[in-house]
Amino acid sequence: MIVRSVSIRTQPRPAGPDHGADRRRRLYSDSALPDRLFHAVARSGGGLVLAVMLLVGGFLLYRAWQALRKAGLGFLTTAQWDPDAGHFGIAAVLTGTVLIATVAVVISVPLAIGTALYIAEYAPVRLRRTLVSVVDLMAAVPSVVYGLWGLFFLQGKVIGLARWLSTYGGWFPLFTVDGADPHDPLATATVYTASTFVAGIVVAMMVTPIICSIIREVFSQAPVGEREGAYALGATRWGMIRSVVLPFATGGMIGGTMLGLGRALGETIGVYLVISPVFAIQPHILQTGTSSVSSLIALRYGEASPFGMSALMAAGLALFLMTLVVNFAASSIVARSRSGATAE
Amino acid sequence: MRRIRAAAAALGLLICSLLVLGQQGPSASAATYARISGAGSTWSQNAIDQWRRNVTQYGMTIDYAGTGSSDGRQQFRNGTVDFGVSEIPYGMTEFGVREPPPTRGYAYMPIVAGGTAFMYNLQIGGKRVTNLRLNGDTVSRIFTGKITNWSDKAIAADNPGLTLPNRKIIPVVRSDGSGTTAQFSLWMSKEHGSVWNDYCRRVGKPVPCGLTSYFPVVPGSGFISQSGSLGVSGYTRQNYANGAITYVEYSYAVTTGFPVAKIENSDGYYTEPTASNVAVALTQAQINQNKSSSQYLTQILDNVYHYKDPRTYPLSSYSYMILPTKVEKGFTTDKGNTLGAFGYYFLCEGQRQAEPLGFSPLPINLVQAGFDQLKRIPGVQVQSINLKGCDNPTFSTNGTNTLAKNAPFPKSCDKAGPTQCSDGTGGASHVKTPVKSSAGGGTGGSSAGTAGSGSGTTAGSSGTGSGTTAGSGSTSGAGSGTTTAGATSAGTSGGVDPDTGLSTGDAGGSGDGGQDIAASTVSVGSESFWGLRTWLMGLSALLLLAVVVAPPTIARRLTTRTGKRHGSA
Repeated sequence: MIVRSVSIRTQPRPAGPDHGADRRRRLYSDSALPDRLFHAVARSGGGLVLAVMLLVGGFLLYRAWQALRKAGLGFLTTAQWDPDAGHFGIAAVLTGTVLIATVAVVISVPLAIGTALYIAEYAPVRLRRTLVSVVDLMAAVPSVVYGLWGLFFLQGKVIGLARWLSTYGGWFPLFTVDGADPHDPLATATVYTASTFVAGIVVAMMVTPIICSIIREVFSQAPVGEREGAYALGATRWGMIRSVVLPFATGGMIGGTMLGLGRALGETIGVYLVISPVFAIQPHILQTGTSSVSSLIALRYGEASPFGMSALMAAGLALFLMTLVVNFAASSIVARSRSGATAE
Repeated sequence: MRRIRAAAAALGLLICSLLVLGQQGPSASAATYARISGAGSTWSQNAIDQWRRNVTQYGMTIDYAGTGSSDGRQQFRNGTVDFGVSEIPYGMTEFGVREPPPTRGYAYMPIVAGGTAFMYNLQIGGKRVTNLRLNGDTVSRIFTGKITNWSDKAIAADNPGLTLPNRKIIPVVRSDGSGTTAQFSLWMSKEHGSVWNDYCRRVGKPVPCGLTSYFPVVPGSGFISQSGSLGVSGYTRQNYANGAITYVEYSYAVTTGFPVAKIENSDGYYTEPTASNVAVALTQAQINQNKSSSQYLTQILDNVYHYKDPRTYPLSSYSYMILPTKVEKGFTTDKGNTLGAFGYYFLCEGQRQAEPLGFSPLPINLVQAGFDQLKRIPGVQVQSINLKGCDNPTFSTNGTNTLAKNAPFPKSCDKAGPTQCSDGTGGASHVKTPVKSSAGGGTGGSSAGTAGSGSGTTAGSSGTGSGTTAGSGSTSGAGSGTTTAGATSAGTSGGVDPDTGLSTGDAGGSGDGGQDIAASTVSVGSESFWGLRTWLMGLSALLLLAVVVAPPTIARRLTTRTGKRHGSA
């Protein structure tokens, strides 16, 4: 490896635009027209994205205003969803959204880190490309497919795990299932279906590829010098990964997780197909019945009254703001970390 | 500069000629249809999907999204689809909110008839029940959370031939805005108003409440809400959903191979929503005949609900397509041409496929009215169709509804009373469910007495009520003992063991000839926390840990030992 790079360097450089490397570069104080054009295009592109974001937020606020003014602060504390009767709020749907996204992240992050680590560090080079495209393919599967898979296949297989968790972990408040009697053979298993847990697993399958590809990218950027240094000091491969790759990639892993979380918060069809919506705060993740903001909007979109539509817009605004906060947090963490920077 | 201008001119010419060519395309061949899209009902989706597939041979591409009737009406109103499909018209009042009609021009056209069926998944002793019967009041009380167990007396009264298990009922309802829910709740509000109003009060809705497209659910009540007809029927069919019951169009039960509950009609017969039973019921539907009304052709079903014909299925209704009548909101005459051709297809030829799919074909008056409605679509190519060529099973030469006229009468064992048929229903019509001997009598007979369960101590196990067809009581050797005394009287009155002189009514597996379908009381001693299972779990956890930890530990120890040996050497 080293020998070859040395041999390349000793070869005569081909004549090219950069062949006068010894000469001092001229510095332009006044940028030329192409430069200025490029600046303007880039700046307006960035500005356009910001403007679109503001327009989306502004539109949602405008449409939601009617409902928000009527509901007031109760919008944040009411669990019911009955806009035409005046009782509506996002306490239940927002709790459900956060819980589903949390379950999804808890499942998908270890899976994504493991996959990324294997692809980036352990897999043979030929296998690596296949694995990368397989993971990317996972991201390309439409979410309705995941939803149907969750409803017709996964749910029946997960019941056993859910029952086990609630039977032996029921003392933990999140794992409690009301109305379940594990000692009654005629008791229904449906109390473990259509739950936050099942929806969370389905969403985890959707966000895993996103998190995985970000983390893999960061892993592969861990500086070669430090890797070689760790090997030189006698580290095993796992020792090298622990002392160089993982610390280097911490920021990227957190950032990828947060981006996955942002996606999980907004996931609609996969959740819509699996859950059995209830409009009460449901902290028991294994029990049937949960709800999320996006599935609420999808379900109630056909609702007739203009006021009901305004209430849905208000729920959409809440989700928009929450996703925005999560993504901003993610980008600031990524920006502060060392991930992606070369060795000093 | 000149060169650029020349190039631009050439490009312009090219584009122009391409445009001209493109314009000529459709007019050159009349069989080219513009692509159209629709959305709405999942109740009638199975029929629409079949028709859509059939017309692709004529070059028509029709997109249809089954997103629920409410969404279909909303999308049609917003102009995002070219046609909508819904069970209920615009302008219905749900919980005090009236749905505004769209501002674009629209008209209703019936597309197919069918019955809202109650598909269920219930097993007794590991065997699927296929002949459940329910009356309207029981159904209403099941879906309003008043009856919560299959062993409830009301259900037992409807099913004298079944020993129903002590299992929780899981009502599966629609979570999205649904025309099926609207039809079902409309029926409940008209026929079982007090039960339905009481439920509305419990969920905090204004009383009296009529129909609703969104089924309200009490949190924590054990109800399951799923989206779409496919969602509810797909949930109900799962193995874990033993004890579930849902309301869905009959065709979903037929395609998933599951039974539906027979519902008691006003004449005291339990019927199934077969094509002919639905056709009989809908002869009583009042159709709005006022052509100038915006509600022209819509249905009023009050007389259907309590029509006194033994063949009536009470929850029968029509499904409607909402047609655009003006060129606006993205609808063009080209699209009108496609929609018209599609309409002519399914009103005529398509109706033939209604029955095998689990729907019921439209009668002749509605087909003709539908043809008139199609003329209102802008851009439609009016066809003059000879109705005889449609081969619609309801048509006749003298104007009567043939399908309704020739509908078979229910068997006498389907009449409310002490007897119950063993025949399967819906998609499980080929699977018989053995009934208790006392209930299996009558003309229908049953195959119930096939196996006298092993514990029969005497020989009296043969064929009480087990006559295969005529109720003569002649089959069925018992597991033990010899087959003596074929209990000839049992076929009709069904009931006395010839040896013991005891009633064989519901002895549950004590040699009454009926297959053991009793799954009555099961009680299992509660297991203590430190039972065998917990120990086994702990053991497997330990083993797992050992599998993970042991190899590296052992390997390291081995290497250090060899290292030491090498060092000392």
